[in-house]
Amino acid sequence: MIVLWAVMGIGLSLAFELVLGRFAPGATRYVTLMTLPLVAYALRTSQRSAMAVGCASGLLEDYWIEPRLFGLNGLVKTLLGWALGGVGAQFDLNNFWGRFASGASVSLVDEGLQTALRRLFGEIVAPVGVASLGIRAVAGGLLTAAVLAIVSRFGASRRTTRQKHRKA
Amino acid sequence: MAAVSPARANALLLGVMTFAQLLLIAASVRGSMAASAVAAVVGASSRPVVAPERSVSGILLDVVHFFRDVHADETENVKLKLEATRLSGELERTSELAQENTRLRRLLGMHENLAPQSIGASVVTARLAGQSRVILVDRGAADGVRPDMAVVAWGGAVGRVVSVEKGFARVRLLSDPNSGASGVIARSRAEGMIVGRGGEPMEMVYVPKYSDVVVGDRVVTSGLDGVFPRGFGIGRVTVVGEPVGASKSIRLEPEVDDRAVEDVLILLEPSGTKLLAPDEPEARP
Repeated sequence: MIVLWAVMGIGLSLAFELVLGRFAPGATRYVTLMTLPLVAYALRTSQRSAMAVGCASGLLEDYWIEPRLFGLNGLVKTLLGWALGGVGAQFDLNNFWGRFASGASVSLVDEGLQTALRRLFGEIVAPVGVASLGIRAVAGGLLTAAVLAIVSRFGASRRTTRQKHRKA
Repeated sequence: MAAVSPARANALLLGVMTFAQLLLIAASVRGSMAASAVAAVVGASSRPVVAPERSVSGILLDVVHFFRDVHADETENVKLKLEATRLSGELERTSELAQENTRLRRLLGMHENLAPQSIGASVVTARLAGQSRVILVDRGAADGVRPDMAVVAWGGAVGRVVSVEKGFARVRLLSDPNSGASGVIARSRAEGMIVGRGGEPMEMVYVPKYSDVVVGDRVVTSGLDGVFPRGFGIGRVTVVGEPVGASKSIRLEPEVDDRAVEDVLILLEPSGTKLLAPDEPEARP
């Protein structure tokens, strides 16, 4: 069941990422929807599943929108899944501020790691502005907190319905 | 045998995954078949998601365009009609000039493809991040699209095709930090190289410091890079800074807004201008 939810989450993120790129391409500078399943799995399940989900979503992102370095986003998101999964196992981050902080830090580290790896593989990198990083962190944090709140609410309502059915 | 702790097992798994993905990146940089095979598997697995997304996006886009058209200002229509009339006159004049130009070029022993063969494409999605600025278009290898073909839009040059799949192609925009195009100042014919800077304004480099460049000058493709035919707009000069070494420091405002590109033309032929080979028969006027 957990695999099915992961596949659905990654699929939905990819679909929304492509839609965002089509209707509001300017927003793709600050927002990456493909990190959402990674954060969700890191905060709610295990480190290992966060790594797997991060790897899968990163490779899909690479296939669709990475021009040269196939595997770059896969690697970055695997590392992020491992790091956040480890932190998530130590602390309870499944609340508003925990989700916000996770989303913001994942957005920032994602950008930083990508820049470093691009440089490592011989690409020219543009200077990263502080303002742009700030917007990215806030946007990533708010989006993560909002989406995970909706997912939690949905999960809670499903559990309640299931319990009612059992009682009936 | 002692059991391995979950943390240690995860660290081991991370090591294996990191190593495998570093190999994958290295393989893709070298253009290896292994990377293409993995990419094909990943692409095939995502098709069930992307096909419905494209249908839904198409419907949404139609709805958006419908409402935009309905609410189009009447005066705007009148203005456009007047502009169209003016442009049709201009087109006739340009056509005359083109014919004259062709005759003169033949006299000089040169040949130019004034209208390179092209194919229209729609933008499927875009990623306009700081370090990577790419659009995905709905034409691919099946339509004759190949890497390194030039992509233009209404207004000017957009970018070049970097990789192609059967049904779509990835286009690296001129504003990508790894992009480059040969440009020329339309007024003074000063040449230089246009480089992207991510979300920041593009830069024109290698322009000699004694060249005549002023703010507001239009920059067009020079045709020297072997990708873009000459004459496509790139941008307008917004800043002419202090020279750095032997070259001027120039910033450009792009002529085509990356965020507003919906439809593009992929030029199926390489750069437009070529000199006739000595054994090539010269057409007589």
